[in-house]
Amino acid sequence: MLTKTKCAAAIIALGTLSVAGVLHAQNKKPVDIVTVVKITGMSWFNRMEVGVKEFGAANVGVVNARQIGPAQSDAAQQQRLVEDLVAKKVDAIAVVSMDPLTLEPVLKRALDRGIKVVTHEADNQKNTLVDIEAFDNTAYGARLNERLAECMGKTGKWSSLLGSLGSQSQVQWADGGANNAKKYPKMTLVDAKNETANDAEKAYGKAKEILRKHPDIKGFQGSSSLDVLGIGRAIEEAGLTGKICVYGTGLPSEAAKFLESGAVGGIAFWDPKDAGIMMNKAALMLVQGKTITNGMDMGVPGYNAVTVKKGPGVGIIVTGKAWVEVDKSNYKKYAF
Amino acid sequence: MKRQFSDPQLNFLVGINVLILVAATVLSHGDFLDVYNFQSMASQLPELALLAIGVSLAMIAGNGGIDLSGLGMANLAGVVAATVVPLLVDADATPWGYTGMFVVVALVTGLLGGLLNGWLIAGVGLTPILCTLGTQLIFTGAAVVLSKGSSVRLASAEPMSMIGNENLFGVPIPFIIFMVVLLAIGWLLRYSPFGIRLFLLGTNAKAARYAGIPGTRMLVTTYALCGVLASLAGVIIAARTASVKADYGSSYLLIAILVAVMAGVRPQGGYGRMVCLFFSATALQLLSSTFNLLDISNFFRDCAWGLLLLCFLASARINLADYRLFTPRKSATLAQSPPGSTNK
Repeated sequence: MLTKTKCAAAIIALGTLSVAGVLHAQNKKPVDIVTVVKITGMSWFNRMEVGVKEFGAANVGVVNARQIGPAQSDAAQQQRLVEDLVAKKVDAIAVVSMDPLTLEPVLKRALDRGIKVVTHEADNQKNTLVDIEAFDNTAYGARLNERLAECMGKTGKWSSLLGSLGSQSQVQWADGGANNAKKYPKMTLVDAKNETANDAEKAYGKAKEILRKHPDIKGFQGSSSLDVLGIGRAIEEAGLTGKICVYGTGLPSEAAKFLESGAVGGIAFWDPKDAGIMMNKAALMLVQGKTITNGMDMGVPGYNAVTVKKGPGVGIIVTGKAWVEVDKSNYKKYAF
Repeated sequence: MKRQFSDPQLNFLVGINVLILVAATVLSHGDFLDVYNFQSMASQLPELALLAIGVSLAMIAGNGGIDLSGLGMANLAGVVAATVVPLLVDADATPWGYTGMFVVVALVTGLLGGLLNGWLIAGVGLTPILCTLGTQLIFTGAAVVLSKGSSVRLASAEPMSMIGNENLFGVPIPFIIFMVVLLAIGWLLRYSPFGIRLFLLGTNAKAARYAGIPGTRMLVTTYALCGVLASLAGVIIAARTASVKADYGSSYLLIAILVAVMAGVRPQGGYGRMVCLFFSATALQLLSSTFNLLDISNFFRDCAWGLLLLCFLASARINLADYRLFTPRKSATLAQSPPGSTNK
């Protein structure tokens, strides 16, 4: 009886591993590039995986591209995944760091072992060869403001909202917008950089306050993806749809309602799919011994003329202009 | 000693380890049997296994004992050391001094945290699971405040990074530290008076009280030891990642409990073997690394761990000697006064 159960237990355990073996793709010769994301199963990284797979499909036989990520949102789990990849000695690791600092030693070991390392959204990472940034934050903010200015006819009062003053990128977007507006003397910025705590409800409250204080306001620029939702709702309720221009960062799925009604003029975001393709492309170039140079056309939307500068460590930082601008007419193309 | 090969839990765990090792080797066409791979696994293991030792000790102590605050303690110890030590020692001038100070400050923090747990549980009489849940939040919260929520980079001191990343005779230093601690705790449990009293206390708190075992002091010592072990894990984490972060390893807590339970540590207290804990921890690490090596989803890995635990419980279930485990046992709490005492 005892041995019987033990045998059964052993068979189940062995079965587990054999299922694992079936799932395991056969070893191929092509360049092995693994993209490690912060967490699996989140729509943002699912979209990135689309890009990774697309890159793999476009380079069948040349690369073997795949994406993995921890099941829990934990820097420790991501670190372990990378650790195992280093032990496995893949050709290249492309990682979206949960926490750049935590990964430094393990990425250093990867580089020491001759593995090419590419990172994304980690311009402070030292142990990387290429860091990919979707865009320059100031330029992104300026571009949002340019669209706002066109809508406002380059005259009138406008205000800016952001998630939190502690978020460096959002502050840079708001400041980039403010600098752009200085080009137009008739545009006045009032009550700049209202904090909305990354909360659509707070953004709604702030927008209502501003509407009361400045009845003649003509435009809003949002930074957090939830800002436009709050502003849009406030404007709809005040019956000012179409009279006030609203532009900001947003996700098509969330902002759809306000884009349809016209309360929000347009949104911008960046597409993780393109970032996924771009990381893998950079990794492949590293393996092939090619370098990315300033102004190079990477053949990925938004990365047609990249800016290259030296990073904090051995590597370079490659910056694109990979923001996507949508309005009522074309937001449906992006299903996330 | 004659029972050496008659421990079914140990046999099962060793068998599972061998099985995974063989399966991984076959499935990876031999890639798995690579020295670097074993070094990598051996350096990943200690931080988690040290936390599991802490959980085991708390469980062995009985009275519903468990230490949920281990991970919070580990991170807090790291954060305190990383913020305080640079004010005392200059890492560039004396890298050894920095490292030594880092370890001392971290371990002292762990000791204090452990004493707090011990005092709350044995002195104030809180239920361990609730008490350590509370202190876990306190420790993590304090670490968030100290580090302002982001990760703190350690000063670059050669000895510090050696602790986390170098090998000694081909064995990673974290693994050596872990083995020393494991053997010491194993010795303590098996041969020292403390260990014998702890098993007695865990088996039957009331009988232990009548036998004159100082329950309160034993519990305080045990939880203090848990705190020190956790802070040692914190030092290893800091050394391996060259940084400290308040919420690092948030998924470790449940895995540490899983390691302890799979090692056959009795949740009701009174039994647990360090050699089983070792093989339980290596089984999880082998399985996890195997799956990563074979590109298998991390969700599936969690599922496989669950299966492994069920297999283990199934194998233990049929063992007649352990059959009592599933029948309710009478147990007494420490706070209960012996019959005949009038006060209280």
